[in-house]
Amino acid sequence: MFHKQSQFSSAHISGILKAAEAAARDIPPAFPLEATVAVNPFMGQTGEDLATASARLARVAGVRITRARSDYARAVAEGTITDEDLAEALAACPHINKPADLAALHAQLAIDSPTPRALPTVAHLAATATGTDWPALIDRCFGLWAAGYFDRGQALWTPAPGHSAFAGWREWATHDLTPEIAGLTGFCAHVASAPDTPERAILRASERLGLGEDVAEQVFHRLLMDIGGWSQHARWLLWQAELAGTTDSTITDLLAIRLVWEEALLELAPQASQPWVQTRAAHAAPLVPSPAQVVDAVLQEAAERAHQRGLSAAMTGLDVTNGRPEVQAAFCIDVRSEVFRRAFEAQDTAIDTIGFAGFFGLPLAHRPHGTDQTQIHLPVLLNPALTACSHAGPKAEEDARISARALRAWGRFRQAAVSSFAFVESAGPLYGWKLVKGALGLDGVKAAKSPAPQIEGGLTAEQKADIGAKVLTAMSMTKHHAPLVLLLGHGASVTNNPHESAYHCGACAGQTGEMSARMLAILLNDPETRAGLPEHGITVAEDVLFVAGLHDTTTDEITLYDDCPAKSHKDRLEQTRRWLKAAGAQARAERALRLPGATAQSVTARAANWAELRPEWGLAGCAAFIAAPRGVTRHADLQGRAFLHSYDWQDDAGFATLELILTAPVVVASWISLQYYGSSVAPHAFGGGNKLIHNVVGGIGVVQGNGGVLRPGLPWQSIHDGEALAHEPLRLSVMIEAPTEAISDILQKHPDVQALFDNGWLHLFALEGGKVAARYRPGRVWDGAALQAKAA
Amino acid sequence: MTTLLPLGHLAPLLVLAVATLGFARPGRRPAYVPQLAEAAALGALALAALGAVQLGMGSAQTIGTGAFSLRMDAASATMTLLVAFVGWVVVRYSRSYLDGEAQEGRFHGLMLIALAAVLVLVQSGSLPVLIGSFIAIGVALRQLLLFYDDRAEARRAATKFTLVWGAGDAALVLAALCLWQAFGTVDVVALGTVAQGGLPLAGHLAAGLLVLAAALKTASFPLHGWLTEVMEAPTPVSALLHAGIINAGGFLLIRMADVVQASPGALAALVMLGGFTALFGAMVMLTQSAVKTALAWSTVSQMGFMLLQCGLGLWTLALLHIVAHSLYKAHAFLASGGAVRAVVGINRPGPIAVPGLGAVARAFLLALAIYAVVALGFGAVAGTKSAQALALGAILIFGVAYLVAQGLADAAPRALTQRTALASLAAAVAYFALHVAAGALWGPHLPAPPVPGALEWALIVLALASFGLIAIAQALFPLWAHHPATAGLRVHIANGLYLNAVLDRLIGGLSTHRHAGRKA
Repeated sequence: MFHKQSQFSSAHISGILKAAEAAARDIPPAFPLEATVAVNPFMGQTGEDLATASARLARVAGVRITRARSDYARAVAEGTITDEDLAEALAACPHINKPADLAALHAQLAIDSPTPRALPTVAHLAATATGTDWPALIDRCFGLWAAGYFDRGQALWTPAPGHSAFAGWREWATHDLTPEIAGLTGFCAHVASAPDTPERAILRASERLGLGEDVAEQVFHRLLMDIGGWSQHARWLLWQAELAGTTDSTITDLLAIRLVWEEALLELAPQASQPWVQTRAAHAAPLVPSPAQVVDAVLQEAAERAHQRGLSAAMTGLDVTNGRPEVQAAFCIDVRSEVFRRAFEAQDTAIDTIGFAGFFGLPLAHRPHGTDQTQIHLPVLLNPALTACSHAGPKAEEDARISARALRAWGRFRQAAVSSFAFVESAGPLYGWKLVKGALGLDGVKAAKSPAPQIEGGLTAEQKADIGAKVLTAMSMTKHHAPLVLLLGHGASVTNNPHESAYHCGACAGQTGEMSARMLAILLNDPETRAGLPEHGITVAEDVLFVAGLHDTTTDEITLYDDCPAKSHKDRLEQTRRWLKAAGAQARAERALRLPGATAQSVTARAANWAELRPEWGLAGCAAFIAAPRGVTRHADLQGRAFLHSYDWQDDAGFATLELILTAPVVVASWISLQYYGSSVAPHAFGGGNKLIHNVVGGIGVVQGNGGVLRPGLPWQSIHDGEALAHEPLRLSVMIEAPTEAISDILQKHPDVQALFDNGWLHLFALEGGKVAARYRPGRVWDGAALQAKAA
Repeated sequence: MTTLLPLGHLAPLLVLAVATLGFARPGRRPAYVPQLAEAAALGALALAALGAVQLGMGSAQTIGTGAFSLRMDAASATMTLLVAFVGWVVVRYSRSYLDGEAQEGRFHGLMLIALAAVLVLVQSGSLPVLIGSFIAIGVALRQLLLFYDDRAEARRAATKFTLVWGAGDAALVLAALCLWQAFGTVDVVALGTVAQGGLPLAGHLAAGLLVLAAALKTASFPLHGWLTEVMEAPTPVSALLHAGIINAGGFLLIRMADVVQASPGALAALVMLGGFTALFGAMVMLTQSAVKTALAWSTVSQMGFMLLQCGLGLWTLALLHIVAHSLYKAHAFLASGGAVRAVVGINRPGPIAVPGLGAVARAFLLALAIYAVVALGFGAVAGTKSAQALALGAILIFGVAYLVAQGLADAAPRALTQRTALASLAAAVAYFALHVAAGALWGPHLPAPPVPGALEWALIVLALASFGLIAIAQALFPLWAHHPATAGLRVHIANGLYLNAVLDRLIGGLSTHRHAGRKA
């Protein structure tokens, strides 16, 4: 069969393989649930705008990536979206097939846009031809194999390690009789005789399926979407490999596997050939959004402009405070902090808060107590540069490991074939008590006590001062420190929730912010650090104490860590704890209004309830990112919907910090906002499915019900309260208090970031004196005059 | 006191009353329904507990006459208490879990109906009541499996369930007719008494049909497929099914123990079917990477083991197994969201120490030594055991040997060896103690194991040999699991030997005509 392929020109071969590579990059990575972070589901489409991506994803995934037309119509009828919003959105739309005028757009509001249908795969065509649901069979067979192949420790009997996905699957599929029993006669032999490398399998299948270079990428994208989260998990493997400077071909292997199925089904159902020719033609047609898709994109933009109107109104100017605060508290920029910061500041005028990404700029990997493994604690765009270790003494470490291993041996005793009977007969009755504890939430929320972290290998005095100075500069905290500075990471206490890490800190790669905060506080209290800071132009008064803490976003309780005890600050700390406690109560009361069935008093209990599917709302509702001094937002109630990053451009020599903000936190925030967006508007393709029937698989993710495709993204219950969406799907509005030229210069240096703004995946505004001064338009154009005219 | 109505009988009524409220307010966030559902379940638990106290102070009794009667004795009091307890936990769980679902009220109604039906079943005093509750359970569970009826997978699972459950009901009806024909009564107590005098042909037929019904209802090989697909329903349904409903087949046998035991053929069938299902299910479980799927296979296997115990005539141990398994499995399902965290925990302490051949041999010797010491100790206190009980103890100790072996691996540190040895000893003591307790609690009300004849001895040896072999294979598992020679075996086992695929083909489960459309 290879001699046939050699008839192709090498250009054709490389064209098909390039299409496979491109299709892989059309897929967003899905991080395993062990430490998951939000990812932009449209990561492969950021080079296109919303309408064009709508057209593409309608073809390859059968999803609409805007809301239902009736949702927009309701917002217009209720006056949330005004005619002005509609007109502006229409004017900004670059597509020629958009409605001619506002009246035409209005007329469209009453018409439902057609439900998209994905172009069929051969499996779908064969199902129609033969009456057997082949796509369902593929889901099942592929899912069972993939669950075992990607398993990290759920099953005791997993496939032999060390095989590539394609080799592993070939071995599996040559033995698996399920397809043959279902009627796909000869499938095992078909697999056995398939080419033995994924590249050659792709080439052979492309030939048999008649795929030219013009349609290959789209057909491949379609097939990768068909296996859902499995391809996204494989894309994550590629992401990790590339971050480490290597590469990984698992996703190409999965494509090859799916193509082997297509080949076999085309052979089984020759009647599918004719419709397949038509399908290929449909794939080859130019990718132009339909008028309905353009209208939906305009309406989405109008909804975002409506939100921006409210946001602009809340930006009333800069409030300058004088005098030294008693307490400064640095929180993560996470939107959940906004509620708590407001509540905390409301306790006393002497309290000041700061927002910064929750890893506090420390590029840490962390080796926790009781293990030699490390986990990363920084945005997943970056590689760690330092390793912090929280090991206790050798005796305690040894004890922890022995306990864990004994527990593991007991777990294997429970799981293994014959011993499972002995387990049930000896230990089963104990579970009666465990059921009582679970039902009544008696275990509560246990905060694991970890020894204080230290940097492995130590740091020289110079390194300490260097790191300290860098972090303080990035945080815009170079002067006027309060005598007590809290560094507060965040994490969520939840029980029995597979998506636990999704509630933790995204900037800490799905871990809690505890380690980063503690490490930084220890570093900044270190006399060697303090002695070296003045050389970097930073003065921290001698009486300043940094104290690390963790904000529990389910309970709004704050744990402060006593890593650097200081008697001098005892009273101030006592007072601060009282303020934090009062602020927690206030924040809970505010959050209870949004949580179904909650009261201010019952919010805390959600953390320990093993049946609670909505312990808290995570970042649902996120809609804005504001980089400015706190004085700009201090008096605004942003309803827990804004990322607040402290930034003072006047202290930012050369705009290095601004560049950091635009390329790291803004990008991470866009991933979060677009994950919420994608999970809300296209839950079937990008959402995590229904939590009530989740089935944890392989330790990496969930499937629904019996098995099938992996479901990355946010579960429906995380964005919907049962009656309505808890997250209004809006693309993020970024507002930055900085000169427009400086912003433009940075965008020019980072075309990937500029593409996010140019294609409308993010909106950008410049603030001046705490008020919106200019709106960014594609191509680094600033529209200031119009805004100012409107304000006047 | 004994003249009073056993309070346990009131439990299903209370639960049913609130169930109607669920159907009156079937929708989202129905006012008071979730709270009242939990209150009803808790009330049922209180009644079951009071009923048990009543029984302790008085004696077993049957209420009603002839075809329609309820029975309260040691076995039914135990089961009522168990079901009511699991029911309360599950209904309380559903209160939070189902919040905001479009059919929230209806869900609570269905769960309560299923719960009431199981409560009646375990207190039934006659075959018609037993059969009626089986049918009611089938109807309620089918609706619960179809809770998301837009999912083709759910519809497939419901079809399979109805088929197998219905076949079980049919077998049971036939068994009842045979017994009626043979003895002229359908009262379970009366049947037990007359069966002790030997069975006529129709009686043997009935025993066979009872075994068939139990096998179908406990998802025994080869029609286990329905149980491994019902994760399509919300988690609390799985918990109730695996902890409350699946046991009903076992309870059926225990209730009819005298009839079944009077038929050596029925017992032999139970030993072979149960023993094979136990090992088969356990092997498949090893290969499943999805938590609920692995748990479902574990239930198939555990129910097989329970049937094996019935087949050996170890009725008290079968009842103990039902109780212990229910509590474990209810918890395992309800807490299955912790699987991600569990996997992290497994990988944290580093690589697993793999025991070699020598370590495994030592482990088995050590385990047998533990067995000898503990069995002698308990023997001195609680009297001698039957051959069947001793054989079962040996099977269980094979399992403990695996725990010992893990601690004896060459790479295992001494402290770990000590911990696993201690855990092994504790496990051995615990289950012997539980055996003694079970014997004391239920022994007087259930038949003793038959004196083994040639057939029984053959079966005992067969069971010992096959469980022993698998136990050794399991202890040596890391040495062969990844060998290329076993790769194909793993595929076949992971697919459950394709029985489900064959069933799907036979009933057209994958037909596009029956299940039009495909949903993500």
